[in-house]
Amino acid sequence: MTTAGAGAAGRVPDNTPLDLYGRPAWHRVAAGYVGWGACGLAVALIAAPLASVLWGVIGRAVPVWRWSVLTEAGNGQGGGLANEIVGTLFILAGVSVLAGSVGVLSGIYLSEYARGRTGAVLRGASEVLAGIPSIVLGYVGYIALVIALHWQYSLAAALITLSALTVPYIAKSTEAALRQVPTTYREGAEALGMSPLRSLRRITLKAALPGITTGWLVAMAISVGETAPLLYTAGFSDSLPSLSLTHSPVGYLPYVVWTFYNYPAKAFQSLSYDAALILVVMVLVLIVLARIVVAFTQRHTERN
Amino acid sequence: MSLSSPAARSVDSPVVVDRGDGVAMRARGLSLGFGSTAVLADLDLDIHRGTITALIGPTGSGKTTFLRSLNRMNDKVAKHWHRGDVLLDGSNIYSPGVQLMALRRRVGMLFQRPNPFPMSIAENVLAGVKAHGIAGKQHYRAIVEARLREVGLWEAVSSRLGSSPFNLSGGQQQLLCLARALATGPEVLLLDEPTSSLDPITTEHVEALLRSLAPALTIVIVTHNLAQARRVSNRTAFFYQGRLVELTDTTKLFESPEHPETANYVSGRMG
Ligand SMILES: Nc1ncnc2c1ncn2[C@@H]1O[C@H](COP(=O)(O)OP(=O)(O)OP(=O)(O)O)[C@@H](O)[C@H]1O
Ligand SMILES: [Mg+2]
Repeated sequence: MTTAGAGAAGRVPDNTPLDLYGRPAWHRVAAGYVGWGACGLAVALIAAPLASVLWGVIGRAVPVWRWSVLTEAGNGQGGGLANEIVGTLFILAGVSVLAGSVGVLSGIYLSEYARGRTGAVLRGASEVLAGIPSIVLGYVGYIALVIALHWQYSLAAALITLSALTVPYIAKSTEAALRQVPTTYREGAEALGMSPLRSLRRITLKAALPGITTGWLVAMAISVGETAPLLYTAGFSDSLPSLSLTHSPVGYLPYVVWTFYNYPAKAFQSLSYDAALILVVMVLVLIVLARIVVAFTQRHTERN
Repeated sequence: MSLSSPAARSVDSPVVVDRGDGVAMRARGLSLGFGSTAVLADLDLDIHRGTITALIGPTGSGKTTFLRSLNRMNDKVAKHWHRGDVLLDGSNIYSPGVQLMALRRRVGMLFQRPNPFPMSIAENVLAGVKAHGIAGKQHYRAIVEARLREVGLWEAVSSRLGSSPFNLSGGQQQLLCLARALATGPEVLLLDEPTSSLDPITTEHVEALLRSLAPALTIVIVTHNLAQARRVSNRTAFFYQGRLVELTDTTKLFESPEHPETANYVSGRMG
């Protein structure tokens, strides 16, 4: 600051904001501190619960950890978690495919085809669906699928109920991501004589993938962690899930966390800690996988 | 070659079907607008085959709108309407049954801002080739090299054909987009202020390139740069408030324009 007047610049730190006359602008200094303070507080408010959860889960699970929980199925006295792990993976895979395809297709429809009233009505419906408490959806799934269709507690009932819960998130994020794709991409493709479908597949969807993946991740995190709708639809089972979609209950990890925690027997409590740790690890693995896929497909975009 | 059934065509040599009249595209009584605003009023205009036609005129005079009507890029704009015909080789591009994909393969376009696709440099050149199934896989490498050489980009990018186009300079990106447009072998190329974001040297390069493409290709270029219009074009059209005031040989239009409005504009008394 060559124009610093009154020698003021000499006494204050180099990066102090100065007014037009080279005098330190103290109100801007103060505003700066307040701003940074607020940011720091916000970060702390997010980071502290996360750290506390991780600490609570790891701190309880590690001391009682047995590798055999990964391979043994449950039995009346405890046993392992293999059946719940496989069950949760089945549910994840099923929701990923079912809610993933329905959600992405709905999002494409909303962003590319739905015009005016139709779009507004569908968007509203999707928001209502997203707002229904999961336990209510679970109960509806129970009445409709488990009872009325005689599917009993089953993988299919669980998948459909969880998909109904998660489709709105995927549809919303897909729509938002597609709308953010620059029009120059679409116009460029159009001017080159690409068919709308080709332009969607080769260019627009690819550019929208990071946003779509975010919605998909949220859906996966919900499916991995939701307990209420599964209580009504998946039931619970101590043995490895069968491959049949109906008439066969499925075990899943959140149930273990939720119920075994209150059992008097130590073996059950340990299983509940282990289940919580496995859930956390699953979510982390999903996030890392999604990051890798996104980084690979986005290697030719403007952000790099 | 009809618009409704794209025939197979060599990539390297666009088949120029000369119907004898030397007119590649022709607007007949073309009016066009959006909703209640009319943007173009009753245009009659010929684009001569194998020449460069420059479109000049003050901002908002309808140059871009007219250019985009030549490959029907206005169709999707909300509340778009038009009257009159635009002929390509004598057939109306607005008649029902015309396939937009086939039309745009024959009438290519380059935009003001470079707009490479989010795919590798080579894939960008091939985007249109693949979309139209113009050549088999075994020809891809040759096409990429030929088109990049044609626009003078080969030396700069031959070692990184698989990497992102967004690391190229703006000028290089625009040349890549030109290579992409040329790769489908269009008969007519529409350019909307293609050099307005480029430095003088690259601009000169693009202009030389356009001149070298011209006999095989019909070029229509919108420009605000009057010197550029004089340098590159054979004929120049002056647009004013949605009307075509004058279309004639470039030299004549700049040196002895017929209309006072044209004279005012080219002498810088009106912008
Ligand atoms: N989608 C649209 N809806 C309504 N009016 C439009 C639309 N597009 C263009 N116009 C109007 O049409 C007129 C001509 O616009 P156009 O973009 O063709 O001008 P231009 O000659 O290319 O101008 P410039 O030199 O600034 O690029 C303008 O008055 C503009 O406001
Ligand atoms: Mg314009």
